[in-house]
Amino acid sequence: MGTNYLQNPGTLKIDLMLQGLRSTDRSITDSSENSGLDIVLPGGIRVNVPCGGVFTRNSPYELIKTGKGYAVTDGDDSIKVTLAGNPAFYSRQTKSGVRFSDIATVHGSYVVITPQSGCEFFEEGIECTYCAGNFDKDGPGRVFSIDDILEVVEAVKKEKIAGIIYLSIGFSKGSDGGIQFLTPYIEAIKKFFNVLVAVEALPPKRNQWIDHTYAIGADSILYNIEIFDKELFEVICPGRSKLIGRNRYLNALKYAATVFPSGTVASHLIVGLEPPGSTRMGIDYLTDMGVVPILPIYRPAAGRALRIEPLTTEIILPVYRHLYKTVRDRKINMNWVRDISVITTPIEGRALFGDGDKEGSKFFESFYKSRLGRKTAWGLSTLRRKLRVKGAAGPPDETGGSGAKSGEGDD
Amino acid sequence: MGVEIDRRPLWLLLIIKAARPIFFATLAVIFYYLVVLPLPEGLSAPGRNAIAIFILCLVLWVSNVLPLAITSLFAIVLVPLLGVLSRKETYSIFGNEAVFFILGAFILAGAVMNSGISNRLSLGIMTRFGGEPRRLVLSIFFLAAILSFFMSEHAVAAMLFPIVFEIAKGLGLRPGKSNYGKLLFLALAWGCVIGGVATFLGGARVPLAVGILNESTGLTINFLTYTLAVIPLVLVMMVVASFLLLRIFPIEITDVSRAHTLLYARIQSMGKVSVREYSVGFILIATVLSWMFLGEHVGLASIALAAVVVLFVFKLVKWKDIEEYVNWGIVLMYGGAITLGTALERSGAAEWVATRTIGEWGTSPVAVIAIFSLLTLLLTEGISNAAVIAILLPIGIGIAGKFNMDPTLVTYAIAIPAGLAFSLPMSTPANAIAVSSHYITVRELIKSGLIMSVTAWIVFNLVANYYWPLLGLWGN
Ligand code: SF4
Repeated sequence: MGTNYLQNPGTLKIDLMLQGLRSTDRSITDSSENSGLDIVLPGGIRVNVPCGGVFTRNSPYELIKTGKGYAVTDGDDSIKVTLAGNPAFYSRQTKSGVRFSDIATVHGSYVVITPQSGCEFFEEGIECTYCAGNFDKDGPGRVFSIDDILEVVEAVKKEKIAGIIYLSIGFSKGSDGGIQFLTPYIEAIKKFFNVLVAVEALPPKRNQWIDHTYAIGADSILYNIEIFDKELFEVICPGRSKLIGRNRYLNALKYAATVFPSGTVASHLIVGLEPPGSTRMGIDYLTDMGVVPILPIYRPAAGRALRIEPLTTEIILPVYRHLYKTVRDRKINMNWVRDISVITTPIEGRALFGDGDKEGSKFFESFYKSRLGRKTAWGLSTLRRKLRVKGAAGPPDETGGSGAKSGEGDD
Repeated sequence: MGVEIDRRPLWLLLIIKAARPIFFATLAVIFYYLVVLPLPEGLSAPGRNAIAIFILCLVLWVSNVLPLAITSLFAIVLVPLLGVLSRKETYSIFGNEAVFFILGAFILAGAVMNSGISNRLSLGIMTRFGGEPRRLVLSIFFLAAILSFFMSEHAVAAMLFPIVFEIAKGLGLRPGKSNYGKLLFLALAWGCVIGGVATFLGGARVPLAVGILNESTGLTINFLTYTLAVIPLVLVMMVVASFLLLRIFPIEITDVSRAHTLLYARIQSMGKVSVREYSVGFILIATVLSWMFLGEHVGLASIALAAVVVLFVFKLVKWKDIEEYVNWGIVLMYGGAITLGTALERSGAAEWVATRTIGEWGTSPVAVIAIFSLLTLLLTEGISNAAVIAILLPIGIGIAGKFNMDPTLVTYAIAIPAGLAFSLPMSTPANAIAVSSHYITVRELIKSGLIMSVTAWIVFNLVANYYWPLLGLWGN
């Protein structure tokens, strides 16, 4: 079956994410045990593949060494791939003695940083059922200092490995969705570096926090609803459902799409935890609001076989095609959410249609990936913020006060 | 205030943002064009440059794209740079008496407000006159006007400023936003301006004009004749101003009892009148009396500054306490404006404008009065009123001879309108003090002042043509 997908990097990415990759090289399987293996497929498509372990035992794909490089083979055919390799800064430590690799993980053009571990859903036993518990593993209270994070960002900038700093946070009980905590980090990064910042947070209770998030320098925002189906959302994400509510997710996303630039408001819909039809409905709903759906594939954690069966590439490929077509038809900018190895972004859907080979597409691809392209994106994003934001960027008045309120607290 | 997201189309926001640089670029081009214009007959290069700087500053003051003070400082830079006056001369003009009078007035106002005595005075005024909002505004207006009959209008403005400010604060009026706040300070400024022209006592300009008249012709004007000649204009202007004050900005409050209660509570909490309050009050009264009786000899500014020194000698106020009351922006603005006005005068630009206008339009005695009064009204907005008199009166007396007119008529036509500056903060301390409150903007002052200026010009000419003959002023 794999043979069908091997020649199209778009389909291969999905199939690899779904089935994983075998390897006999212990050094590779060991190093990618927790975070997967980042490889670059033809056309520059990055994919983070589960490599080794139980999950990949039945995969038709194997990573093999070919001379100086690597290839992925399904036994009949093979294609050349590149191992993304670990950035040099992973091996360094901050002045306070924290390993850079503990602070940041590079996924394609994104550097993911979670300044505070811990998610309060765990305290009440209402964590998301699929959650790998990454947030919790160091125990609550592990907080990286702003200085530590600035050191990492500086290293990232020096190595020129990624253009976007992605800050994420777990659930905390405040009404701000975690933004109050992230504010000094975002402000510090923006003050010292010309980089784009994406923020993954939880929908705040009031829309003024969304304005605030944009005003302080976030260039992109993600409120990950994860599951679109109402009932499944309640079952799979009890914490999100109980303490935030599905409507608030949707309303916050809708509001954010009026504040942030086109294509910079996004939400995950996990493929494999709900029927494909429901994911398709989610895609339609989100894109109607101007939100970019991002479709990660559920990767079962030990002892948590939650995914719907059967889950095959044949079944989910039409969902990805639908994603690309819908985002394109709704004229939502696809260039923001791109080149992330752990998920499939709408722009990668081009490859599914063969659109990626067009000359115009190729030109824009390489421009957006170039340093000039990144600088332009940063410049335009900064200019837009300067034009749009009025007044002082202080935290919203918690007593109420003025500001947009539509769709808030309606759960 | 939190953030607000402007959702208007980005192209529109870009145009709005670009408007400022485009505005400055256009202004620079126009300015350049003005300073390279071929010299018209009778105008020197420094005179042409002075007019160009004046136009530039007027646009900047009115548009408010730069803070008022910065425009004034810019004028001070341009005047020597374009050879209008020497550097030394330019900077020395800044040390004008009026600038120090304003500075002294701010410090005195600060001391009065800081001591708390302004609360008691405000409450007194409100209890007596402030039954309802309209009545309170009119009371302030009439109080300022009537006081200006008997003493320098500048001194009245300085004296009433802390009281009106306290009332505005007590009413919880938001500076720049509240219509009622605008009206309170307009009432103060207009009261001083209108009242100030009623007698010889309102300011130094009428004695100056009479002095010039006497020197050139041997003729004179006495106190009573002057007042009789001007009183219909003053009364009509007072009626017009009262009417406008009740209509120009819709009043947003329905009663003033809130300020009354607040001031009362504040005074209660202050306890009995303290020695400090008595002392500040005493110094204030002594200052006002000195302004009235010694102003001419000692100078208003010297009296104000002497009072300030006395306040500090007796430790009635600390510098830290009054610093927040001194509006340095207005002081700088006024100083720069005076420098520019003097530059117009000394470069011959003002005289050139006057002679050109009179030469073209002054075809009959009635027209001469109309033109002189109009020119004076316009010039007094940008130049100190004493300077306007010094520029225009000698020309006026000469022209009067040409038409066989009584030179006293021209003296009236210049001395009276010279005091009627309603539109710009740089024209008179009363306006400057009103703008310094931040309740009223320059643009609002101009908008309302223009109506007053046009009315004043029309009424003045009606009075001159139909009332003065009754006094025998057009004579034989
Ligand atoms: S929000 Fe859900 S997925 Fe995220 S850390 Fe908490 S429990 Fe895990």
